[in-house]
Amino acid sequence: MSSTVQSQFVDAQTTAPPKVEEIGATSGPLKSAAFFIGAYCKEYNEDFMLCKAENRDPAHCLKEGRRVTRCTADLLTKMRENCAKQFETHWNCLERNNQEYYMCRKPERALNSCMFEKLGLLKTIPGTPEGQKPIHEVENPVYTGVQK
Amino acid sequence: MPPPGGFESVKYKRNLPFRGPGAFAILGGVTLVSAYGFYRLGKGNLEKRELEREKVWSRIHLVPLLLAEGDRAAYARHQADIALEKAIMKDVAGWEAGKSVYNNSKYESPRINIS
Repeated sequence: MSSTVQSQFVDAQTTAPPKVEEIGATSGPLKSAAFFIGAYCKEYNEDFMLCKAENRDPAHCLKEGRRVTRCTADLLTKMRENCAKQFETHWNCLERNNQEYYMCRKPERALNSCMFEKLGLLKTIPGTPEGQKPIHEVENPVYTGVQK
Repeated sequence: MPPPGGFESVKYKRNLPFRGPGAFAILGGVTLVSAYGFYRLGKGNLEKRELEREKVWSRIHLVPLLLAEGDRAAYARHQADIALEKAIMKDVAGWEAGKSVYNNSKYESPRINIS
């Protein structure tokens, strides 16, 4: 009896119409888009994290969480519309290279410049020392892939 | 009697062929190579720190998204648990489904997943 009751209730809950479409992207595209998500959805992300700092209860920040997810979905759609080729090249490169940014600087630069031209989003790494080139813009880094 | 043409001259000069660069040249060379190596190592260490920061920030930027998704799933599962508990305990009078076992309002993540 218990198993039928169980499945009945789980199904009733989980198959209820979702209020927000989940992202569904895998780690590669997310890692590739991470800094743009941080730039584009800054306000929503901070709002959500402040809400989570208030209370850890999942029920407490559902609304803010939906906003975060919608904002990210919006950004990913825009990326696919504007920079689909560069985006795909970059995350495929990440997938092939253990998801290390330093192995994929060339596709990353193409994606960064495209994102800046089309959407005005700039990749910035917080905490980079003053007067130093951010690591993703260094021309001749020590750490590169063995195969160029 | 000497042989015709006379004796050949006596070889008295030392025969010491050139045996490579001197000690100080080798020492200097090794120092130079090591110095360059250490310079690269230092640069690489600084760079590694920056790469690590980049990696950490890429994850920080993704935290709200992943946390929000996880929260929705946890919330849905919790609601299903409460509904199930209600159904199981419907014959017990005064039973409050989903009530915390602790006497405070602080959130506790569920220790048992019923469904």
